[in-house]
Amino acid sequence: MEDTFEPFEFTQSVSILKSIGRKARNLHELTTLIGGVSEESLFYHTYQYFSKGHILEYTNEFAYWAGENLGERILAEHLSNIDPYDFKDIADLRKKLLEVIDEYLKEFPEPREVLPGDDFYFSETVTMVFPVGIRAGNLAEFLMAIKYVDGSSIYHHFYEARRHLGRARDDFSRWFETSLGKKSLAEKISTIDPFMHTIEGIRAHIAEFVEEEVRKDMGVTGGAK
Amino acid sequence: MIAQYTCIAPKGDLLCLQKLCDKLSKRSFLHVNSTKVGGGVAEILQRMVPILNDLGVDARWEVIEGDDKFFEITKKIHNAIQGHPESITKDMWQYHFEVNKKNVEKLNLDADAVLIHDPQPCPLIEFKKRGKWMWRCHIDMSSPVKNVSNHLMKYCGKYDAAVFSVAKFAQAMTIDEFIIPPSIDPLSEKNRELTEEEIKATAEKLHIPTDRPILLQVSRYDRFKDPVGVIRAYKMVKKYNDCILVLAGSPASDDPEGAIVLKEVEDSAADDHDIYTLLLPPFSDGDINALQRIASVVLQKSLKEGFGLTVSEALWKGKPVIGGATGGIPLQILHGITGFLVHSIEGTAFRIRQLLNNPEMGKKMGENAKEYVRSNFLITRQIRDYLSAWYSMENKGKSFLEL
Repeated sequence: MEDTFEPFEFTQSVSILKSIGRKARNLHELTTLIGGVSEESLFYHTYQYFSKGHILEYTNEFAYWAGENLGERILAEHLSNIDPYDFKDIADLRKKLLEVIDEYLKEFPEPREVLPGDDFYFSETVTMVFPVGIRAGNLAEFLMAIKYVDGSSIYHHFYEARRHLGRARDDFSRWFETSLGKKSLAEKISTIDPFMHTIEGIRAHIAEFVEEEVRKDMGVTGGAK
Repeated sequence: MIAQYTCIAPKGDLLCLQKLCDKLSKRSFLHVNSTKVGGGVAEILQRMVPILNDLGVDARWEVIEGDDKFFEITKKIHNAIQGHPESITKDMWQYHFEVNKKNVEKLNLDADAVLIHDPQPCPLIEFKKRGKWMWRCHIDMSSPVKNVSNHLMKYCGKYDAAVFSVAKFAQAMTIDEFIIPPSIDPLSEKNRELTEEEIKATAEKLHIPTDRPILLQVSRYDRFKDPVGVIRAYKMVKKYNDCILVLAGSPASDDPEGAIVLKEVEDSAADDHDIYTLLLPPFSDGDINALQRIASVVLQKSLKEGFGLTVSEALWKGKPVIGGATGGIPLQILHGITGFLVHSIEGTAFRIRQLLNNPEMGKKMGENAKEYVRSNFLITRQIRDYLSAWYSMENKGKSFLEL
């Protein structure tokens, strides 16, 4: 363990939004554009959906638009059921999005148009990452840090890092396993449903699991509060 | 100066701002607009330029000059961009260009980054020598008069990037288009914390009773702000809840319709002594601040809106806002979380009743509202975004940058 140990360096990301100047008024236009826009744009409308705070009825912007602007609730539910983290790359996610919309169009071939101004506006982001100056060298230090670090730092490590940095999992569970050898803690963190919590909810869950682990290490019995 | 925002702005924004300024240290950043005072752009620049200098960026602000004829033309261009039918003749476009050309003799346009605000100084791009030039459009360009926007786009296409407030205002262009919403300054007279005495003094001065819940709309007397619709909604509410309505606006000398709309408002309100129609003089920021703080519910029932920054001003004071689902309002009001988005007078009345009968709901929304503005609509975020846009242009092609 000693050889691979690295302290956990908290970082944060800030994204600036760019319009790509393309918009869709109906599902046919949406599919054409989903098929052709950049991977950065699909990344923004799916993975980065959570950076704006959770709206739990939906899990990505395509689902939100289908449900709220087009009033196509069935499609919205189907799109919300897509877990972007299930795909090895964005090309596969793109294929899945198109497949779900195509299936829906087979059943409902004449989708409505949105009202003027309610179009789907395609965007993408440029993300800046920077260290926030907080490092955790052990689990107890991590516990202190996770309670007070900015919410956007938790967003970065829990959501953004999974895909944007080419990592298959969130930074926290990766560090627990690879640097601290805490496999079961890593697994607990991995099971936190990324779609069902606010950032503060995720902070609370992580803190709870880590505190349990710290108590266990210290030989303290009784539940963490 | 930036230290004043510690404990107000999010830590992450301030840190990112510092990191970006370190990267762009001693580089020059020029802003150009067409007025030194009045209007949201000048208001923000007055604060932004000193903050940037404080952080080590060599920021400057230049203002172009023009005569009445020039500003009459640019007002027409402005209106046409917002979708009002206007005709801009070839001579008018030529005059627009000539005034800009004349300004070049007096302006120092030499900078590493240049941000040109709105259509008035847009032709300055023809005189670019170096640096990254961005055109910042503060107005709603979602449904412009086509031949006017096409002419303007001939200039815009020569910039390195354009900046719009809302994604739906962006155009199909070949240059980068950044989306940067405007912001409020939490330390300005309009938004700073007020003492109880200051708030009370305003209420007394304006003869506003504070013994019942106050509904407030702050806006120009403009049909697009639907003040008469607000009165009708208030009258529907009044059957169930005793409350008062305050409509606060300033006279707009450049808007001949303002007086007509004000008359319509006064006529609608004539039979009700609980409606207060205020015509506040310019620079009444302190009074507007106080009114927003004594209100129970703030309305922005616009039918058409640019960004509608008065929404963020009220949200920042911890007030739930009921707003028309138009322009930039849906970006500020998260329906059911920081307020309610409405589509009709009836909907407005219903949401007012909901808030008046559930003060706890209003309180919770108000708390959410303040935090939402803190994260999204403070001046520090806007400065961060301008610098991010500049820095990303210097690292073109990269979607992920380490600071």
